[in-house]
Amino acid sequence: MSLITPLALLAAAIVGPAIVAMYLLKLRREERTVSSTFLWQRMVRDVEANAPWQKLRRNLLLLLQLLLMLLLVFALARPYLAAQGISGRNLIIIIDHSASMGATDEPPTRLHAARERAYQLIDQLPDGGRATVIAAGGRMEVPAAATSDRRELRRAVERIQLSNGGGSDLSQALTLAAALAAREEDSEVAIISDGNVTLPTNLRVPARVSYFPVGRATENMAVSAIALQPGTTGQTLFVQVTNYGQASATRRLDLYLDGAIFNAYNLTIEAEREQSLIIDLPPQVEVVEARLDGADAMPADDRAFAVSPATEATTVRLVTAGNRFLETGLSLLPRLNVVTVPAEATTFTETVAQVPVTILDGVTPAELPPGNLLFINPLRSTAYFSVTGTIEFPQVRPASGDDPVLRNVSLSEVSVLKAARITPGNWGRVVVNSDGGPLLVVGEREGRRVAVLSFDLHESDLPLQIAFPLLLSNLMNFLAPGSGAEAAQLTPGQPLSRQVDTAITEVRVTRPDGRTVSSRGSEVQIQAGQAIYADTDALGIYTIEELAGDTVVGRHRYAVNLFAPGESRIATQRDLNIPQASGASSTVSRERDSRQEFWRLVALIALIVLLVEWLVYQRNGLAYLRERWRQRAGDRQSPLRS
Amino acid sequence: MTERTGEPLLESAFLRQLDRLALVLRRPMAGDIQGERRSPRRGSSVEFADFRPYARGDDIRQIDWNLYARAERFYLKLFVAEEELNVHLLVDTSASMDWGTPNKLHYARQLAAAYGYIALANLDRVSVTAFGAGPGELQLPGVRGKRGAVPLFTFLQRLQPGKQGDLARACHRYIQSARTAGPLLLCSDLLDPGWKDALSALASRPFEITVMHILAPQELEPDLEGDLKLVDVESGAPVEISANLDLMRRYKTHLAAWRGEIESFCNGRGIIYVPVDTSVPVEEFVLGRMRRRGVLR
Repeated sequence: MSLITPLALLAAAIVGPAIVAMYLLKLRREERTVSSTFLWQRMVRDVEANAPWQKLRRNLLLLLQLLLMLLLVFALARPYLAAQGISGRNLIIIIDHSASMGATDEPPTRLHAARERAYQLIDQLPDGGRATVIAAGGRMEVPAAATSDRRELRRAVERIQLSNGGGSDLSQALTLAAALAAREEDSEVAIISDGNVTLPTNLRVPARVSYFPVGRATENMAVSAIALQPGTTGQTLFVQVTNYGQASATRRLDLYLDGAIFNAYNLTIEAEREQSLIIDLPPQVEVVEARLDGADAMPADDRAFAVSPATEATTVRLVTAGNRFLETGLSLLPRLNVVTVPAEATTFTETVAQVPVTILDGVTPAELPPGNLLFINPLRSTAYFSVTGTIEFPQVRPASGDDPVLRNVSLSEVSVLKAARITPGNWGRVVVNSDGGPLLVVGEREGRRVAVLSFDLHESDLPLQIAFPLLLSNLMNFLAPGSGAEAAQLTPGQPLSRQVDTAITEVRVTRPDGRTVSSRGSEVQIQAGQAIYADTDALGIYTIEELAGDTVVGRHRYAVNLFAPGESRIATQRDLNIPQASGASSTVSRERDSRQEFWRLVALIALIVLLVEWLVYQRNGLAYLRERWRQRAGDRQSPLRS
Repeated sequence: MTERTGEPLLESAFLRQLDRLALVLRRPMAGDIQGERRSPRRGSSVEFADFRPYARGDDIRQIDWNLYARAERFYLKLFVAEEELNVHLLVDTSASMDWGTPNKLHYARQLAAAYGYIALANLDRVSVTAFGAGPGELQLPGVRGKRGAVPLFTFLQRLQPGKQGDLARACHRYIQSARTAGPLLLCSDLLDPGWKDALSALASRPFEITVMHILAPQELEPDLEGDLKLVDVESGAPVEISANLDLMRRYKTHLAAWRGEIESFCNGRGIIYVPVDTSVPVEEFVLGRMRRRGVLR
């Protein structure tokens, strides 16, 4: 323990004698004339004879006052204890609230432990210091910005909730923290996390960074994948369980079909290995839950849900002059009902609900059909794009690797003879590009999903490659969402969107926790033929009900699962490498870095002493009150006795 | 506060009530001159007392000739003498008496006046001595009859509180100077270390002593609080106390013990002890309490 302003102790040397002197002056008692001191003298002689501690009692007030003074002076000297923590005056607290912080190895959860740590840091904040609270991992939030109000800071920390979606990327938060730290002297960044985070590679934080690791456990098993696919006679369930820990482990996997237990499997998995199960299920099963029995540090990833894909087939209108490749490709896709329309057709009377997707192969009608559209080799400009010519032998160049439309699709071997030179509007993103112009554009405009493939399939070797059915499947998943098994699975935080008919007046979403939200409220929105529900952070089954008037016309289920290996790997990192202003890159905080001041506690004790002193001073009054009370109690009892 | 001019010491209605009262005497008392009270001496009333053989020099007019006829000896027929009583009123006027509300000295005056008036109404002789004011005593030598009430009241009215009294010395001196014994009323607060001395001095002569122990309510239940320095109004001697409930309780037990001590002391010497609380109206006290106590009838 040390003192920040030891000179304040000098005050005791001045005030102490002053109090004693005042007390001695005060000892000259108030004079009161009485008829005779004859009786008093006799009595006081008796009293003083048998109470040697009388003198001390008379001085009790003085002693209390001196104690009070000493406490106050001590508080003024600002005593502190050296503690692990922070020392900066401008503190930026980054709290990881990604899914891995929901691990229960620090009871109740790591996030609670992180909050406690943050409270400590806020308490250690020097007077006049300011702090910013950033919640990172998943959605970044800044619940408190540069405030010195400790209560507000504590409230801000308290408000931080676990965010299952979005991963554990600290880049954005650290960039913001670096920017904030650069603005002010004596800044310090505190990261409270389990360390399973993504850090920016080329950022140098112009302040000291302290990392406060949270969590102890390393062992965790998770259901890492689940899928329910229609098979020939029933359905096929695929479940994958991964051991993210560092030791081999055995867990039992329970399967529940529509809430009733179906089977259990004992799985023994080596460290960092996974095991898959493929199970045939009856066709009528709608919801499958896979649950790892027992408990581990992270319960969130021990459960996964799969829903049976929509049983109704989606109708796809194919407007073509004849395309064998396309017809074959589409017929291989499950749950698609392809209606072929001759190329001469110009009017389309069916509604979106009846025919949600139209493929325009080499035709471009003047009046476009409703619903989602796939243009193949468009001949002329439409509202979505303009055709300005043709490209000969375009070089196929996939734009980026992780577009869902190009999942598992390799286009490197594909050659194209001739393609239309199209210029898309700003609604679309170019998925496959070439030197002359985009070859594949997908996007969304006014609630409609549109894809444009700018070359004729007959003028390319694409249909002959393995990439074609995959690309077609991906495109159909994009254009007819809700038709495949994939569509019914969402990651946490991914908005749930579904195309709805104009006849639908209300959409209700039943959340995993049983709460129902409706489009009548503000939580579910219907815009341009799409119902969107964004708050899908909780894991589990979401049920969408479509109502026309008062009748439910459609019910669809979606499963939100935490399939995030980064979150399931819960072993706490002991150090984070973040380049700092000092040149160091280690962020392990050192002992004696911080001063934990406790003058508030001392002041509180002083307040209590003050109260005691007052009570002692008023003890006669208190004794009088007690006497009165006792008398009253006696009065109340006596009638009973008589 | 002591001089209450204009206001009579006792109300006339009260005086009329006092007319019906008389002093209670436990034994005959000798007086100076003839009066209406039985005296231990033989005298010339109509009440027969005794016979006595004739001795030379006796008044032959008192010889009972009827008895001589039967016994052939001379006997004198003696009658009870009826003499006046000498009623002694002793009023303590030391500074400690001039204290309290209602004032103790005023109360003492009223008591003395009432007692004296009753005596005067019964044709007794009343003398008043006030001590405590200065070295000597103030004396009213003796008044007789109802006419004497005026000088008595005036004297009492004019009593001024003194500074410091020595109760024992005053009593000693009074005993030595008093000529005839008789009923003696001592009005004092006895707040004097020499109270025992004083009372035994008075008891050493055959007075019929009644002690009016006058205390003010402020002395019976002092209303003190906090750390105080109590100053004696007479001697100026200070006592430091830290008044609290406990101390007050102890004071009261102490006071009760002291009064008990005085009472048993008085009982042992045939002194009537009457504790007086000045908060009780004097009329009520005289007509009620003093009669019950057997001082008046």
